[in-house]
Amino acid sequence: MPRGSEALRRSGRFLRLGALLAGIAVALSFPSFVPSPYELTVGIAILNYAVLSTSWNFVGGFTGYISLGHGAFAGLGAYGTGLLVTKAELPSFAALFAAAALVAVLAVPVGYAALRVRGASFVIVSIALVLILLLVFQSWASFTGGSRGLVVPRPFPGMLRAEHHEVFYFLFLALLAVALLAWWIIDRSRFGMGLKAIREDEDKAQSLGTPTYTYKLVVFVVSATFTALAGGLYGLWFGDLDPVFQFSILSGSYMVLMALLGGVRHLYGPLLGAVIVGYGLEYSKVEYGDTPLHLVFAGLLLGVVVMFMPDGVIPAVTGLVARVFRTGETSIREVTAAELRAEREADAPDTPSERRTDDQPDGKREVRQ
Amino acid sequence: MPSASLVFQSIVLGVLLGGLYALLAAGLTLYFGVMRVVMIAHSAFLILAAYLAWYAHRELGVDPLLTLLVTVPLFFAVGVAMQRLLLTRLRPATLTMMSVLLTFSIALVIEGLLGYAFSGTQRRIRLGYSSASLEFFGARIAVVKLIAFGMAAAALLGLYLLMKRSRFGQALRATIQHREAAQLLGIDTDRIAGYGFGLGLATAAVGGTALALDTTIYPSLHWHWIGPLMAIIVVGGLGSVPGAAIAAMALGMTQSLLQLELSTTWAQTVFYVALFATLALRPQGLFGGRLAQRF
Repeated sequence: MPRGSEALRRSGRFLRLGALLAGIAVALSFPSFVPSPYELTVGIAILNYAVLSTSWNFVGGFTGYISLGHGAFAGLGAYGTGLLVTKAELPSFAALFAAAALVAVLAVPVGYAALRVRGASFVIVSIALVLILLLVFQSWASFTGGSRGLVVPRPFPGMLRAEHHEVFYFLFLALLAVALLAWWIIDRSRFGMGLKAIREDEDKAQSLGTPTYTYKLVVFVVSATFTALAGGLYGLWFGDLDPVFQFSILSGSYMVLMALLGGVRHLYGPLLGAVIVGYGLEYSKVEYGDTPLHLVFAGLLLGVVVMFMPDGVIPAVTGLVARVFRTGETSIREVTAAELRAEREADAPDTPSERRTDDQPDGKREVRQ
Repeated sequence: MPSASLVFQSIVLGVLLGGLYALLAAGLTLYFGVMRVVMIAHSAFLILAAYLAWYAHRELGVDPLLTLLVTVPLFFAVGVAMQRLLLTRLRPATLTMMSVLLTFSIALVIEGLLGYAFSGTQRRIRLGYSSASLEFFGARIAVVKLIAFGMAAAALLGLYLLMKRSRFGQALRATIQHREAAQLLGIDTDRIAGYGFGLGLATAAVGGTALALDTTIYPSLHWHWIGPLMAIIVVGGLGSVPGAAIAAMALGMTQSLLQLELSTTWAQTVFYVALFATLALRPQGLFGGRLAQRF
């Protein structure tokens, strides 16, 4: 059934394009049909999660290095922006980009230390980074405001609350689009290929000449920069920073949870995870208030994902679809000899059945009898 | 400049603190040895044991030390179950990363349940001997700190003897050193690894009870412990018990001495400074061998 699968694939491409356009349309029109500004803030929170976990996925998805401390970069972005606005009196958005640039510079030595070692030590360093920054930002109260928090002035002072939310909704959406685009470009590049080689087998990648250390460091810095931009934008939107929430190990673990849940190898995986988990978080906040039980739920969900679905929802669902519609891209196709003969005859009724059938444009090879 | 007796007191306190760190770091080293697993939930179990000691003291009025009779076997069983039921089911290729996430999620669940059951209020055990202290060459040492150190030292000694003198310890060390070779010698490495994991968690039970004696506890306290402990095992070299013990003593003492000049919070940063310095200058740690470099 090569014709059928080709048609299916083409329709799949149209479907995907259609879904993308529909998604963009929904995302763009969302602010105009929400019943109240509250729903808009939920949308902004989810978009913020989506940008954060997509940024995390630059490191986690491509190289397989799992950082539990990316919350530190978001916090640094937020505090950097806030401090540059209040202390250096920079304009808000100049401060945002300056803070992101500073975080990028800081990510170099952090990555230098963290990426010297593999796996376990990397995770330890990423956790340590959050804990150390929490200590510093709480203790250094004269500069950061300490536990009293830091108030970030609004970028648009004359604006009403609802308009303010709407503007930030679109800003977060734009940032998400840029992050997704960057991920997509890296995914298709030689650089991305090298990163994925690191994920699959770092020793082999190295022996084949991939500059693994440089690649890891570069993508780490890119990831930290996007995370800092998301954090800084959050700071400008929310306007009030507290070290306990900014440098929380929990925010970093949410990024991991969302990306893993959606699927780290997929462009939209973190976005999907952010929609699911972010909505769940906001919903439970309204329904059950702030009880410690949200930790239990987050922990259980993470545990279940790690144990049973380490590749995420997207591969699980596409795998299921592929099984149902038999479009699976498996290397061995389940085709009986009788089916194959019937296929060949249908394909080329006038030529003898010895004709090779493996010269299809997509390079797929049939099982030869 | 603080007086000599104050410095001496800090050194003694540093040794006492270092003993507790060493015991807990030994547990982490055991997990890493048998499974190549970094157990984030170690300090959550530590706090859980402390809460159990506090709860037993409040409800039943028993001495916290007696809870060890229950918590140590209980934690051992939980550790074996965790290894056999959860960690061995992860894919071997991504075990190191995924086990971190799994144990992290266990830590979150424990913290959340503790917060739900006992609320976020800070708790402290009041004992008859809580405020008693001894004079020791001019240094005043609280009795509870001595007891805590004694427990840690006894547990470490027990662990050492078990590892070096018993047949089980020999099998455990063989499993850590070379799993396949141990299997060839007829060691059931899966079972031994499970017991090793249980043993590691039992150190958290002892440590938690010791902690409950002289510390105020609250559910999110485990984050203050996991950072320093992680730093200790990396500085000492992942997988090396003597390395972990020496790093624990050295860092515990440095922290204690720094508290003379700086606030408690700033003194804690010594662990992270040591961690980053170690990774930048000697990534395998002070005593880490071939094993440490790969993980």
